[in-house]
Amino acid sequence: MAGPSVMAGMEACIPALRRYAWALLRDRREADDLVHDCLLRALDRLHTRRTDAELRPWLFAIMHNLFVSRTRRARVRAGTERLDGWHEATLGHPPGQEDHLRWKDLVRAVGELPEDQRAVLLLVSVEDLSYAEAARVLDVPIGTVMSRLSRARERLRRITEGEPAIPLRRVK
Amino acid sequence: MSAPTVPGGRDAIPEEELHAFVDGQLAPARRDEVAAWLAGDPEAAARVRAWQAQRNALRAAFAEPAPPDPRLDLMRIVETRMRRRRLPWAAGAAAAAIVLALGLGGAAGWMLRGGPADRQAMALSVLEQEAFATHAVYSVDKRHPIEVGAAERDHLTQWLSNRLNRRVAPPDLSAAGWRLLGGRLLATERGGAAALFMYDNAQGQRLSVVMRPMAPDLATPEPQRMGGAVNGSAWIAGGLGYAVVAAAPHDEISAVSKLVRQQSPAA
Repeated sequence: MAGPSVMAGMEACIPALRRYAWALLRDRREADDLVHDCLLRALDRLHTRRTDAELRPWLFAIMHNLFVSRTRRARVRAGTERLDGWHEATLGHPPGQEDHLRWKDLVRAVGELPEDQRAVLLLVSVEDLSYAEAARVLDVPIGTVMSRLSRARERLRRITEGEPAIPLRRVK
Repeated sequence: MSAPTVPGGRDAIPEEELHAFVDGQLAPARRDEVAAWLAGDPEAAARVRAWQAQRNALRAAFAEPAPPDPRLDLMRIVETRMRRRRLPWAAGAAAAAIVLALGLGGAAGWMLRGGPADRQAMALSVLEQEAFATHAVYSVDKRHPIEVGAAERDHLTQWLSNRLNRRVAPPDLSAAGWRLLGGRLLATERGGAAALFMYDNAQGQRLSVVMRPMAPDLATPEPQRMGGAVNGSAWIAGGLGYAVVAAAPHDEISAVSKLVRQQSPAA
């Protein structure tokens, strides 16, 4: 529950939560709103959390649920299938060097994935969640995680086929 | 996927395992087997390389550190939440909205609106946070962990009982190996008074027992476990919230909690 170690653990997860939220929403303000709501809800739910449960997947699950309900609301409002943030954010980037263009292509390609595939791809590839943890976060069977991951990777591969890799930077 | 070509004729590697290979989720032995198998299947190897490149590129693309956002300071969120306790998902549902308002007199303790379960969870949550913060601050203080020492036990009891407007006394925990150091007055989040009794054991570890007034109708039947490296338990009985906190195993916390419960007026 709300011991200092749990607080420290939550604190340590914030950069990852912000990265995932930004990757989902592509809007810094909206992403941080989502993380903020996630932290509030997590604090209110510390009592319902099993003490031996891993903190990171638990937080990601809370945030993912908030994201899903928010996206649903946004769709109802906008009457559209996809959040516009992705397109605005990616298209709004000024064209620059070659690397930047490839980065843009990849980010745009991720944005064009169906939402469920995008979530799996980001949780596994960027956030280093195990397949079992990703399954828990998204509340789907592990087989579904695997098939979404496979579809996402193949789709991205087709989109970016033949392009040299983007220069590596370390993920914190 | 093409047929297995690795010497020894093992079965083709399932695609799931190729992903697990890319994501570093295979046991080392299996990882080596998959690597060996890939060496004999250029088509699969090319695919795996593409996935790896994609994975690296994604990590790079999303690696940009976010600019600091003061709203995401966890301690600030906790404080704000303690000041104005409202559940975000209950907003709009006035009946379910939980509003915390401590009474002016110590005895008034807590007044919360909302479902009984919510109120209890909230009350315990505040109690926990206060108890952990109290333990974190005072238990590490070598010279001044307490204001009034165990030598003045009667004075300590009288003073804290007066300030909390109800009888609170340091429980005798010697049966569990904890010796009373003394106690101090604490401020609760809303300006009410609470009591801390500090103990130590033969190993020099310290244990905190916190008592604070609660709404008379709040009660949680069993101590709730909490913690990680520092453990604790909290419960509410007879209009008082109790919390026991120490860097000790849960078993020991339970034993101490039992002693405190046996000696509390509500027992």
